[in-house]
Amino acid sequence: MTAEAYAAAAGLVERSAAAYVAGVPDDPADAGFFGPDSVTWRVSTDLGRPVAGLRALMLQALHPLAMAGVDQHSNWRMDPVGRLAATSGYLATITFGDRAAAERAAARVRRIHEHITGTDTITGQRYQASDPALLLWVHATLVESGIVAAGMFGTALSAQDADGYAAEMVAAAELVGVPAGQVPASLSDLDSYLSAARPGLRCTPAAAESMAYLLDPPGLDEDVAEIWADIRDGVVAALPSWARDMYGYAAPPLTPARQTEIRQALGVLDAVFLGEPGVLEARQRITLRMRAARRP
Amino acid sequence: MKRRNAARSAVRVRRAFAGAALAAGAAALIVVRRRNAAAGLRGEAGLRGEAGPRGAAGPRGGAGLRLRRGIAALRLAARGGARYASNAPRLFAAAGENRERLRTDLALQTAEDVAVTLGAMKGVLMKLGQMASYVDDGLSPAVRRTLSRLQDSVPPMSPELAAGVITEELGLPPERAFARWDPEPIAAASIGQVHRAMTHDGHAVAVKVQYPGIAESMAADLDNVALLRRMLKVTAPSQDVNALVTELRDRVLEELDYRREADNQERMADYYDGHPTIHIPRIVGELSARRVVTSELSGGARWAEMTSWSQEERDLAAETIYRFVFRSLYGAHAFNGDPHPGNYLFHGGGRVTFLDFGLVKHFTTDELRPLVAMVRNLCVENDPEAFRRAMEEAGFLVPNAPLSTDVVVDHLAVFYQTVREPGRLTITGDYASAVVRRFFDLRSPVAAYVSVPRSYVILQRINLGLFALLGELNATANWRAIAEEIWPFVRGPASTPIGEAEAAWCASRAATRSLA
Repeated sequence: MTAEAYAAAAGLVERSAAAYVAGVPDDPADAGFFGPDSVTWRVSTDLGRPVAGLRALMLQALHPLAMAGVDQHSNWRMDPVGRLAATSGYLATITFGDRAAAERAAARVRRIHEHITGTDTITGQRYQASDPALLLWVHATLVESGIVAAGMFGTALSAQDADGYAAEMVAAAELVGVPAGQVPASLSDLDSYLSAARPGLRCTPAAAESMAYLLDPPGLDEDVAEIWADIRDGVVAALPSWARDMYGYAAPPLTPARQTEIRQALGVLDAVFLGEPGVLEARQRITLRMRAARRP
Repeated sequence: MKRRNAARSAVRVRRAFAGAALAAGAAALIVVRRRNAAAGLRGEAGLRGEAGPRGAAGPRGGAGLRLRRGIAALRLAARGGARYASNAPRLFAAAGENRERLRTDLALQTAEDVAVTLGAMKGVLMKLGQMASYVDDGLSPAVRRTLSRLQDSVPPMSPELAAGVITEELGLPPERAFARWDPEPIAAASIGQVHRAMTHDGHAVAVKVQYPGIAESMAADLDNVALLRRMLKVTAPSQDVNALVTELRDRVLEELDYRREADNQERMADYYDGHPTIHIPRIVGELSARRVVTSELSGGARWAEMTSWSQEERDLAAETIYRFVFRSLYGAHAFNGDPHPGNYLFHGGGRVTFLDFGLVKHFTTDELRPLVAMVRNLCVENDPEAFRRAMEEAGFLVPNAPLSTDVVVDHLAVFYQTVREPGRLTITGDYASAVVRRFFDLRSPVAAYVSVPRSYVILQRINLGLFALLGELNATANWRAIAEEIWPFVRGPASTPIGEAEAAWCASRAATRSLA
């Protein structure tokens, strides 16, 4: 299974952008699960967002069962770009869409998860994608990564806003089927949860391979590949040191100058993203709604 | 209903301005058009002169610009001015009022909004988009699209934010610094926007206001030469990327300080003082500062409107643009690196107002000498070997390249085609494209040995920008004869009516100078 090659990453930006645009409605029926005045919307439009997403994937992959589920069932190897675009579209939908759209998207994900069961060849353990424990791991890494990446490369959240973000995002975990009571609802709860989960983590061959692909995707369009190298450094620098050690990545200290360079690369990536059809309009829809909410 | 009110108040504003302008003894009644939506163009002043030229024909509006090819289209799309207008069909398809409201709602309200929108390299990318004619055909379609969309992504400043910049720079809020102040911007400008105002002594002026914080953030971003170099290596593999980066960086840094632009413009206004067809608006020095530049407000037709004029009128306009470019180079030793349609206002009879001097390159005599030698040896002396030596001396051509001089001349002569032979010649869009294609032709055996030295990077706009404009006008003239008037090594006789008027201006200029 692991010998199977990955498809090239051409079209990564185009397809992610299209999925994102589709997730940002023109005329939503309601403010959705978060609303334009939420911390979630701010984090979702933060410059550090791509680093957050990639960092979350890297942490998620260290859970052997989560990784096995992706590796054995999804179209990840055949169409990694499509898989990433689908995730980006899903996140846009549950964040910016109205409640009905978010629930429809979540129901679809839950249906797919129903059929994903199997045995991890490394640990020998059975897994089910609908297992709340697995879903919680995916959720918690995403939320924590959003906070870390904003702090390093975007607009840092205050302690209060970081707690607020964790609390707001409980709704996202519920959407995919995690009982609210199990979801860390503050930054310190998140940290405790992640620490407690560490003994079960492992860098399996599938994880190492997937993430090597993600950090250096072959076939990336040339102009994007140029900036991807900076963003990759940002992702590796943003990982907790234990996770970096598990992957065996070197951790060059992040100098302020390097941090600025990565921010700049993120800005260029953002500009490339804005160049895709509909992205500017989607951003403007979001900005207008956030402005309207901000107004006294 | 609401719209009618808006229209009525616009009329009121117009009357007030026109009345004051007349009171101040202004010659022309100025009609202010708030936004030049049809043209999709940019300018210091979204203005249209009441008196069009005789022979003007064709309906205005809707025509837009049909610069068909590469560079010109890109430059336009990526250009500051395309901004407000080009947003219209996409986001603001709705009726006028709604559109107005949306635009106001998207306006940048705080310095933080500016940072989010233009920070992290995006302002620099936008500038590169504006300068894209340097790298034109080297741009991938994705980058092209990116640069042009980036323009669209920048909304205007809110009236309060713009007023804050005025207050910080001039020490007074705009309503007190000026007798009248229009809080609505009339055009996008380089890293800022343009407002109309009237000075306390009754002069109508255009006031360019810079986005707050943008200079600092762009200066910091321009320090990341490595990223710039990598970006440009992708987009411009045919050029010496280091020279390009350094020159672009220096020019953009200069442009961040409007005082420099004001100085350039004032020097050009002095140089062309009294010129029969070239007009440069005067700077109001006491109302200019680092982030604010105030200049005389000019009327006139925009480029898109002028392209619908008769061919004779278009030829005259083209002649003046051509004279301006080369007289500035050979006479004033300066070159406005921004030959962009939005930077001209047309008055008929070949009279043109030139705007925007943010990107002016001054040449030393040493820098100019090889250029003069090149054109002289190729076009006047017919000495290809000397032409080649001059190219090598300037650094355009690697010395001792294993190429015959015939091949070199063959490759580069396209740039001189309009002036190699006497006689009337029409610059077509196809010719303009051929120039661009030749410049970026990597397959030519000459390509490997040709480079653009840093000092001349900006000069490429003559070939890549000017000819695109003249091609769009399908302009006909005896370019060689006009060039001979201007070439310092020929100083030929006046060859056209404009040339005669210009000769008289040169003579009186020389007389004034010798008196002084």
